Amino acid sequence: MAFIRSMFPRVLFESSTVFKAGYPDDYVIGTISEKYKESHRVWIARTEEGFYALLAVCTHLGCIPRWQEAENKFRCPCHGSGFYSSGINFEGPAPRALERLEIYLSDDGGLMVDKSKKLLYEKGEWEESILQV
Amino acid sequence: MKKENGRKVFCRCKTLRAKYLNQMKHLIKDLKKLILSSQIWKSIFRHEFSDTPRNRILQITSNLFLHLHPPKIPKHALKLSYTWGMGGITFLMFLVTVVTGVFLMFYYRPAGEYAYADMKYLMFDVPFGAVSRNMHRWAAHWMVICVWFHMLRVFMTGSYKSPREFNWNIGVFLLVLTLLLSFTGYLLPWDQLAMWAVTVGTNMAGAIPFLGHEGPFGAELGLTSRYDARSFLLGGTLVGPGALLRFYVFHCIFLPLIAGILMMVHFWRTRKDGGISTPHFETNNTNEESGKDTGKVERVHVFPHLVKIEILVALAVMIVLFVWSINIDAPLMEMADPAKTPNPSKAPWYFTGLQEMLVYFDPWIAGVVLPALIVIGLMAIPYVDINPKGNGYYTFRERRFAILTFSFGFYVLWISLIIIGVFFRGPGWNFFWPWEEWDPHKIVALTNVNLSYAFGIRSEVSAFLFGAIVVIAYYFLGAAFYLLKRNSEWMQKLGLIRYGTVAFLFLTMMALLIKMFLRLAFNIKYIWVTPWFNI
Repeated sequence: MAFIRSMFPRVLFESSTVFKAGYPDDYVIGTISEKYKESHRVWIARTEEGFYALLAVCTHLGCIPRWQEAENKFRCPCHGSGFYSSGINFEGPAPRALERLEIYLSDDGGLMVDKSKKLLYEKGEWEESILQV
Repeated sequence: MKKENGRKVFCRCKTLRAKYLNQMKHLIKDLKKLILSSQIWKSIFRHEFSDTPRNRILQITSNLFLHLHPPKIPKHALKLSYTWGMGGITFLMFLVTVVTGVFLMFYYRPAGEYAYADMKYLMFDVPFGAVSRNMHRWAAHWMVICVWFHMLRVFMTGSYKSPREFNWNIGVFLLVLTLLLSFTGYLLPWDQLAMWAVTVGTNMAGAIPFLGHEGPFGAELGLTSRYDARSFLLGGTLVGPGALLRFYVFHCIFLPLIAGILMMVHFWRTRKDGGISTPHFETNNTNEESGKDTGKVERVHVFPHLVKIEILVALAVMIVLFVWSINIDAPLMEMADPAKTPNPSKAPWYFTGLQEMLVYFDPWIAGVVLPALIVIGLMAIPYVDINPKGNGYYTFRERRFAILTFSFGFYVLWISLIIIGVFFRGPGWNFFWPWEEWDPHKIVALTNVNLSYAFGIRSEVSAFLFGAIVVIAYYFLGAAFYLLKRNSEWMQKLGLIRYGTVAFLFLTMMALLIKMFLRLAFNIKYIWVTPWFNI
């Protein structure tokens, strides 16, 4: 028991879950931005309605899918899962849609993304996931 | 005189030489006698050198390492056509990885910022570093192959049958440990293969029912990504330095220790269970006088017969491994990059079968339940196979079902999955024929639907019921067969528990094939959809 408990440290030195993702004007309507994929594993989608943030982690086994603009889908290189630009899974083994993250405007009008607050499609939380501008 | 003088001098020389040689011979003889009769020598070696039956036996029994063997073995145990030498080569490969592994530990630091650089240092700068690392990796690959062939040989000669059931089970654990050692090993270079293997592997742990937060009933039990089986392995919620250190400890201490202990049990049990399997009825020892079969298996001394073969085989294998390792470098990809998954991202060949299986089922089934069932199925074999025939010799006629099922499931099916994974999967894990170019932009319209949807069922409740009926009806096939045959002699002998185990495992194995076919031919995603799990 003590061994098992000791394998879960009390403090984790992991980076902050909140990051600033530029300003709304930086994004072109109808595109998926990969600007924060390298640094934060997040895609920012700009639609006519507003913004939503997708966590770039495959819901199957955690690889990073690739955004294939020509086919308008995300495709995972590990086991072939495919997701629409909305994040809905439609091919391959992924059991559920990509996770969306809370996105909000900061006081200075910048976009903020909080990776600790996940909004899941299967729980009906996606309505809150869109930041209308 | 002058001429003779020269000859004379020469002759004198010759005489002198002979004299010295003679003295030298005596000296060596005396020295040998002195050493061999000394208390020190006698305290170490307890046998003499003359070729007598007594000495042949003493040479084995008075040596800790050779004492793994019995003093005498059945003659057929010498034949490579019977044993294939695979168990021994597996052990040799393990020893090679231990020796080279310890050497690598002098240079390798299990921390994210150093690990990859240390690999490059070993490969390009450390004297004999590259060949040691290559030997370590290739010996590990060969070990997997040898374990596989060893199991095939043991199965084909029915050697798991009574009284060796338990030792077969120890062997199954050793197979699992071999694979775990390989897995934890290829994580350590901290290259792209390592990065994504840890990611996928630990996410599979996160999909364990009841223990992982992504697995069935995990969230219901209150597990989160912070506290579950995955974070137990990672030491955090993300793949990072903590994970590397943990897998290093598993690889270098924990797993080899357990493997070592189980190997001791495995070898010891082999001796205790009567040595290598031997046919009960077949003997080849005829009495010279009467010409009649004595009913006893002919036995030969292990020293020198078996020891000679072992040394020669070990030498040959080591030469091939060494030449192989000098010429072919062990794989090393780019440095680990948590922001970029290689496309395609493939496991080493012995895991591509599992990787391919993961395409057809949810991770908790393909990554947890099915591998567990494979292990349980292998362990159950000696207890459900009650056919006494085929123990200690090769036969197909006397045990058709056993051989067909095992070779299909463990070899044909598994190797086909490996071949598909290695040769037929390209970017985006798309299917490519060998003559096709790997186009990363290949568009394959694969919109999955559930089986219930394909049958026109739209409401969730009816889809749930439909799936339940299909799955239950499928497994009912096994029960129906039992009801049909319950009065037959062999079913009576087999009993309900044994039959149930075989039927369940057999149907599950076939279910994998059926699901693969449904996915590839009709894009069927799930057979049975429930709020808690999907099959």
